[in-house]
Amino acid sequence: MDGHDSISDGALIKAAQQGDRDAAACLYHRHVDRVHRVCYRIVLDGSQVTDCVQEVWLKVFRNLDRFECEKSFAGWLNRVAANTAIDYYRRWRKQGRYVGIEEVPSEALPTENSQGAQSLDDAATQERIRQALQEITVNQRTAFVLRYYEDMSPAQIAQVLGCRVGTVRTHVRRGLLALRAKLAVKPIAKGAER
Amino acid sequence: MKHPRFSLEEFDALFPDRFDSPAERLKEYEAFRAVLEQAEKLEVPELSTHQRAEIFRQSWAEPKERRPRLWTCAAPLRRPAVAFAAGLILGCALMFTGMRDRPQSPDPAALEQPFTVQHAGPVKTYEGKILQALYPQIENPRMVVEENQEAPKPRRVLQGTLDKGQVYVLWNL
Repeated sequence: MDGHDSISDGALIKAAQQGDRDAAACLYHRHVDRVHRVCYRIVLDGSQVTDCVQEVWLKVFRNLDRFECEKSFAGWLNRVAANTAIDYYRRWRKQGRYVGIEEVPSEALPTENSQGAQSLDDAATQERIRQALQEITVNQRTAFVLRYYEDMSPAQIAQVLGCRVGTVRTHVRRGLLALRAKLAVKPIAKGAER
Repeated sequence: MKHPRFSLEEFDALFPDRFDSPAERLKEYEAFRAVLEQAEKLEVPELSTHQRAEIFRQSWAEPKERRPRLWTCAAPLRRPAVAFAAGLILGCALMFTGMRDRPQSPDPAALEQPFTVQHAGPVKTYEGKILQALYPQIENPRMVVEENQEAPKPRRVLQGTLDKGQVYVLWNL
């Protein structure tokens, strides 16, 4: 697949549309990490994320014939990934297989015996960030993730979520406030929370 | 968060007019920046080589296996505009066929009427099934009605033949 590295997404898509498995594989390997990152940060559970990522790629390959090469594949992929992860998370919560923050088994949390002091701090920070992100709605979390982890503009996020830019800003603001409250950086200024 | 975009402008857009002083505003901005720097530490466990390969194998193979050749050939039809145009053409064709094959409504003139009337001045001649039913013994019966202004009643004559046209009948009614 090294030969494909310099080929544009558009050319790979055209080849994949003709049934070229290698081109499809190259396209997949080029973007799978980003899809995985987006899905993980929305679903926030390592045991679920693989299924979620697979669902995204099933949709991508199933609909690749319809994709118009002059459009941005990365943008389309972000949209598919974010919406699939949102749906996956909601379905998973509904099915009751979701383990809430308070229900995380104690052995899943870091202990002094399992890690050094630094690792313990890091693990605790990881858990606090995860919990803070879990406390906001999945739409708010998606907006936050796409804005600050994936560097997408509010207008692009609005397209992904199918909402207005103002709604995206509200989602992002709530995400920031939730994280700040959870990570206890400093008390929020007077009137900052409306 | 490789490219943090949390500028002061963005902070102002997210939290407009909420601070007592510029110093307070900057302090809050820095606090939120610190939050984002911490959030940056959220690690994402990498997919293993096996997981990557398995996801691709199942995602790529599955749709290709399920996609029949006809479906691939019909791919252009799945574009909304093409599908709409095709639907329109198909609908028109079906409507045209339906209209063409529809049984025609019977022509009133073609139906056999109970009787017909021929007008010739004051004389009306009635012919048809109804007269044949009324006078079954008479062949080709017809009723001639002649109106005469001088006579109080119109003159009615039944005309026809008997014995296969051998005998001509005139019967004043």
